[in-house]
Amino acid sequence: MSSPHASPRPGALSVRRLFSPGLLFALPFLVLFAVFLLWPLGQGLWMSLTDRALSAHAPSFIGVGNFTEAFQDAEMWKALWHTVLFTLISTVPLVVVALGMALLVHTGLPGQWVWRLAFFAPYLLPVGVVSLLWIWLYQPDLGLYNHLLDKLGLDGVAWLSDESVALWAIALTTLWWTVGFNFLLYLAALQSIPDHLYEAAAIDGAGAWRRLFSITLPSLSRITVVITVLQLLASLKVFDQVYLLTKGGPNNSTRPVVEYIYDVGFTGYRLGYASAISYIFFALVVLASAAQFAVLRRREK
Amino acid sequence: MTSTDAPARSKPAPQVRRPVTPPRRPRRPERSQTNLTLGASRTARVLALVVLGVAALVWLLPMAWALLTAFKSEQDASDPLHWLWPKHGFTLDGFSSVWERGDLPLWMLNSLLISAAVTVITVLVSAMAGYAFSRTLFAGRRWLFTLTVAAVLVPPQILIVPWFQQMLTLNLLDTYAAVILPQTVAPVMVFILKKHFDSLPKELEEAARIDGAGHWRIFWSVLLPLSRPMLAAVAIFVFIGAWNNFLWPFISTSDPSLMTLPVGITTVKDAYGIQYAQSMASAVLAALPLIVVFVFFQRHIVKSVATTGLGGQ
Amino acid sequence: MTGTPAPVGRPALTRRRALTAALAAGTSVLGAGALSGCGSALAADDSTVRLWDLFSGADGGLLNDMVRKARPDMPGTRIERTVLEWGTPYYTKLAMSSAGGRGPDVAVLHMSRLAGYAPTGLVDPWDLDLLAEYGVRREDFTDAVWSPTQYEGQTYALPLDTHPFIVFFHPEPVKKAGLLTKDGTLDADAFSSPDKFLAAGKELAKASGKQGISFGYVTDTAQGWRLFYGLYKQTGGVFKVPPGGPAEVDVDRMAEVIAFMAKLVDGKVNPKRLDYAAGMASFNNRQTAMILSGEWELGTFRGADKNVGAAPFPTVFGTPAVYADSHSFVLPHHPDPDAAHRRRTHRAVAALLKAGQIWGTAGHIPAYGPVTRTKEYAALLPQAHYKVAADHVVLDPAAWFAGAGSDFQNAMSQVLQQALLDGLAPDRAARAMVRRLNTFLAKPSPA
Repeated sequence: MSSPHASPRPGALSVRRLFSPGLLFALPFLVLFAVFLLWPLGQGLWMSLTDRALSAHAPSFIGVGNFTEAFQDAEMWKALWHTVLFTLISTVPLVVVALGMALLVHTGLPGQWVWRLAFFAPYLLPVGVVSLLWIWLYQPDLGLYNHLLDKLGLDGVAWLSDESVALWAIALTTLWWTVGFNFLLYLAALQSIPDHLYEAAAIDGAGAWRRLFSITLPSLSRITVVITVLQLLASLKVFDQVYLLTKGGPNNSTRPVVEYIYDVGFTGYRLGYASAISYIFFALVVLASAAQFAVLRRREK
Repeated sequence: MTSTDAPARSKPAPQVRRPVTPPRRPRRPERSQTNLTLGASRTARVLALVVLGVAALVWLLPMAWALLTAFKSEQDASDPLHWLWPKHGFTLDGFSSVWERGDLPLWMLNSLLISAAVTVITVLVSAMAGYAFSRTLFAGRRWLFTLTVAAVLVPPQILIVPWFQQMLTLNLLDTYAAVILPQTVAPVMVFILKKHFDSLPKELEEAARIDGAGHWRIFWSVLLPLSRPMLAAVAIFVFIGAWNNFLWPFISTSDPSLMTLPVGITTVKDAYGIQYAQSMASAVLAALPLIVVFVFFQRHIVKSVATTGLGGQ
Repeated sequence: MTGTPAPVGRPALTRRRALTAALAAGTSVLGAGALSGCGSALAADDSTVRLWDLFSGADGGLLNDMVRKARPDMPGTRIERTVLEWGTPYYTKLAMSSAGGRGPDVAVLHMSRLAGYAPTGLVDPWDLDLLAEYGVRREDFTDAVWSPTQYEGQTYALPLDTHPFIVFFHPEPVKKAGLLTKDGTLDADAFSSPDKFLAAGKELAKASGKQGISFGYVTDTAQGWRLFYGLYKQTGGVFKVPPGGPAEVDVDRMAEVIAFMAKLVDGKVNPKRLDYAAGMASFNNRQTAMILSGEWELGTFRGADKNVGAAPFPTVFGTPAVYADSHSFVLPHHPDPDAAHRRRTHRAVAALLKAGQIWGTAGHIPAYGPVTRTKEYAALLPQAHYKVAADHVVLDPAAWFAGAGSDFQNAMSQVLQQALLDGLAPDRAARAMVRRLNTFLAKPSPA
């Protein structure tokens, strides 16, 4: 422990130490942290035990009523399932495609900045733009994709209005939109693989494929785990693009749990119930994080 | 480097080698990075180029289609027979009618103000907190830091309802403050900056201290200037996040004159119904600022993502 | 920037200065916003009445015309429209902004939605005395239109129109089928029972050479319910929705109506599995002679057939009843409204109501009586032919969860689709509807 400079007598909790410069430095953050994170966290928990509504209605304490209702709420389970399904079908391509792009770009082909621009630029688009764009691309009669399918002699697809397609279409949009982020992370990791490993391998006469499988990919295993973890957590929180592309439809077949929170709380006025579902979702996120943490820990050993 | 690394007091996540200083100024990285292709055959290279080219085309196609539509007349945009090339030539009508409606520039201004405020506050406050956790001692420091790190787990999505209730209580709904303040709490950034300060050598501070500099001088005149690349990385990351944030600005504003760009263009409709050319024109205009910034500051942005994107893991 | 001396210090200094400046700018924006409590950088001035509505397309253009026509009636006042996406997104935003107390000055609301806004305190009552000063009185509205505006003795909504669910037809095939009266209106008697209705459909199919009656409902979030509820009320069956439930309904009559609906779209004389757009297209392309539709599509139909006829929905089950809704104006809740501005808002809305003739051209029946009593309005055809529908309108049951664009309508329409499209037996469909209705009723009311 080398850092502390102001080293008062350990243990003595004097007034001076309470208002020590360190605390003053941390204070702005701590205030924001307390007011806009801890307070809402507590308030949300409290609200989940009441029937607070988006109206003049005076809330009353109802115990765990919201939670028991939620556990029997088929719509909530459905929404949770959509969230999990979306996480599965989006995470895999978001990691694999990003890796493929990064490996190809890293081979040192000409036009580096063009590749980076092409793959990363969509990430810089606000989701509002992404959704306007893809609603237009997916438009059944006028959109680009159905025209292209038509050129190939295939039938058009009701991208966003067919229950069996809509969630996949949203995942496809998400892939296009956010893969650039993972791509950059992979690229940075590739650049930090020490050259001497490759040089040594080259001296040993290892071919390009050999080097890919024996040096590059193993060196990327750790970053792959991290990217996958971050991606899983990001996908679990999906709301924006689903809400903007389909509003959770058709017939609620794409509605993720975060949209269910929004629908129940603001459209349905039931802020208390929405808080309870928020906490159930929070538990899911914590659980997922804990599971990943455990996996990571095992890998570390 | 490791010698100056303050011992990690609370490990929130396994230490992954974080590119603290990712290849500084990766000048023409492509030159030095032919590792994979050393000795690879010509055909392999050509093949890789083709695959990459097709992928890039597929990725650029949606944006090209948006541009194409934006320059069409409404009539041509909704003509399925001439879906690719407009029958009546190109026009700027879409852009001019979007611009004349006047709300798009206003939303851009709102986005800029809000993202700038979020960035400035977040970076400053997080840097100060990072400094406090890295360089000072105070009562409760350790558990406050643990709490901060634990809070990384809290998804903002679960806070929309209590935030809304809070803003209702504070009578702040439909104000800039309501949009900005909740976005400024960024435990991840505190964590990243704390680790960053831990990694800086202490010699310079010691010298300054001998000269009689207090904490503020050391923080402001010694550590911050040393941390410029890191602060830039964090700031860029926070800014992009705030610029693109949808959910909370969407919940906290109903007044169209307060909306940010992503919220406004998707929430407020045109009285004359869906008009695809106009819709794409507004999408293009809304996309432009950050894309232009990216073209000019590509290296910084790429570095920012590489540094900050892992959330300090 | 020309007057500023060139920075002489080290770059770090200027950068620091820039950072400080940015910080100052950021905090001042923040402070200003927080302290004044006011919202936008460009807050509208006092003379502007901010109106929220959900009209885009043809209706949106007409409302612009109305605002223009109303101008002389409200000197010094400007109406600034904000159009939001129709349906749930609109109502969610309206509720949220009203709860926050910084909502628009006035907003359009479907009357069927009022039960979710008046008892919850999200909207404020109108001041009838003020309205009377500007020439709008209780007597100017029919009872059927006025009664749903009331809650606890106060008037919470000012009706702009009634928009019923009616029938449109192409006059030639209908005439050929012998279903027109001498004065060119639809022969309602020929549709006055389920069997007669279906038989008339057969005649229409013969006359059109293709098929009879279009009804687009597949994947639609409201159409099934619109047709069902109007017909059900024609049977005289009760449909009571006490808070907490259970619902009081006549399941047998519900099943009877569903059975009729299923026969109507069985694909033999009338087309099967049409969605909303396909239903419109089949009528416009004269694949059918008649369509069951909201009057708000008049403009589209007239574009395809300038002589298109219309009639109130025929009384199939004995009691006259026409499913309808009503666009109305409400005052989103403001905790501390400015009296002068509220007065301005009352005046502006009165002016809009008086400009209702324009609204009538779209097909809507203006609610403000003096407009529909004019010669001008009587000359509007086919509007004048279905004007009487306003006397027997049926709105959604008054429950906080029901109304236009609601989840409730969607849920009911989904069950109906299963009966109409996937062969779910009428009695089972009716029971499924009641079950889902009871689920809604079991939710605690926010009022």
